[in-house]
Amino acid sequence: MGMRKVAIVGAGITKFVRRAQETGKELSWQASKMALDSCGLTLDDVDMVTLGTAPDAFDGVHMKGEYLADGAGGCRKPYMRHYVGGGTGVFSPIHGWFHVASGMADICLVVAEEKMSSCHPHPQGAFLTIFDHTTEQPLKPTLIWIFALEMNRYMQAYGLSKADIARVSVKNKGNALDHPSAQVAEKITVEDVLASETLCWPVNRLDISPASDGAAAVVLASERVARRLTDKPVWIDGVGFSIDTAYWGTRDLSYPRYVETAARMAYDMAGIKEPAKEIHIAEPYDPFDYKELHHMEGLMLCPRGEAARLTAEGYTARDGNLPICPSGGALGVGNPIAATGLMKVIEIFLQLRGEAGKRQVPGKPTCGLAQAWGDLMQMGTVIVLRS
Amino acid sequence: MATTEKMSKTTTPTHWDADIPVNYVYTYGLAGEAFFRAIKDRGTFLGTRCDACDITYVPPKAYCDRCLEALDKYIDVGTVGYVDTFTVSFKNMDGSEKPRPRILAMIKIEGTDGGIIHYLDGISIEEVALGLPVQAIFKPKAQRKGGIEDIIGFGPVKR
Repeated sequence: MGMRKVAIVGAGITKFVRRAQETGKELSWQASKMALDSCGLTLDDVDMVTLGTAPDAFDGVHMKGEYLADGAGGCRKPYMRHYVGGGTGVFSPIHGWFHVASGMADICLVVAEEKMSSCHPHPQGAFLTIFDHTTEQPLKPTLIWIFALEMNRYMQAYGLSKADIARVSVKNKGNALDHPSAQVAEKITVEDVLASETLCWPVNRLDISPASDGAAAVVLASERVARRLTDKPVWIDGVGFSIDTAYWGTRDLSYPRYVETAARMAYDMAGIKEPAKEIHIAEPYDPFDYKELHHMEGLMLCPRGEAARLTAEGYTARDGNLPICPSGGALGVGNPIAATGLMKVIEIFLQLRGEAGKRQVPGKPTCGLAQAWGDLMQMGTVIVLRS
Repeated sequence: MATTEKMSKTTTPTHWDADIPVNYVYTYGLAGEAFFRAIKDRGTFLGTRCDACDITYVPPKAYCDRCLEALDKYIDVGTVGYVDTFTVSFKNMDGSEKPRPRILAMIKIEGTDGGIIHYLDGISIEEVALGLPVQAIFKPKAQRKGGIEDIIGFGPVKR
């Protein structure tokens, strides 16, 4: 396609917490500084900066892309904020990839931030107005409603029980025990999930990721620069993104078609023909436990309706054939929306470099993907990485 | 309706009212915590300095936005500065007349690269000028809560 190869060469993540003392700018700075330090660069070396962050209503700062710029090292540089709802964090490195692949930048700092604790009494409130103001808002739906409708549709389509889905929460919260940034890592059982309070049937409290504050950052470099900086560049071999309609009456809620479309775009670019065989490790977005299964199927990592069975068999465990969310995911590490997506990209980066410490999966994976999803259950973003 | 036509009856479309029901809890942040504690407890301003970039931030920043180095040594920069620029506000948000015009100024703090936006107090429209030396006037200590409103405004420098 006449575009340059782009590598991830450095990364940083703050702790994910319920309420950070740090401002959003300070969180952005901590992650940015960590990422630059990790690859021996300074801000002077950075040509361009991109920043991903979800709705302004979370932080309570309108135009927060501009507000956060100085913490993200964006001042007096070409800087731009991108935003695709919950899909933002995986779009972040895609946005940076455009800058480097096009030849406009040799080094691009990519930052993702969210400070959800500002939004009171709960960031849920910011979601009340994402619905159609005429046909839906007067019914006062909450975000959990729509997930509950989708989860039930998915369960019905494949004859799944709540226990089949709860295993994802058990796995991810357990995996997160080894993640230094984790907010809600816990050793729990399927019974614990089923016994947690029902918020909006079939969704119980332990089916859901928490609201969080946190930031993450990566440094992208062109091939020539990357090879000079590190012996272990991780290449961005495929990127994809796709959006479906917010008019959801015509959509099949049991299958995330937009994720498949985004995945096909990324796979075509990466030359992947059989994703279930060629992808060794994946971090699909898991804000709710059923979403991990839904997304595995949309990503064509398994046949439709099979993800729950594979999870029950341990296929997606950290030592399974296809480790899914070895980081602990949004369910375990926490869910500062944009930062979560980038945390997932960083997990694949570390795993492919063999630097994931106690979380390292066996078998020396060489190809992985991260995926995020958002807006009104309609946005898919996918990135394929290879060592 | 063509775009060139003026829309004169804005009440014609049927509509209803709604609102976005959220409010906010903001933290001061690392540097903000130090800044407002110094105002509340000691009635003075703190700054941070990046020697490498030769810049002193007031209000303080926890990092230098030029090089991203951590700045964790807070220095007392005092409360005296000068008017860098100002504006005079005559009307309230609802368009009503203010009982007395208020002067809002950017005060550059002496010996630093930073500044604070606040009202001028005890300085008339006739007296105000760019470069005018001013000093912060704080509420009595017992009334200070750790916020920008602990400062009443900036007035003439006390000699």
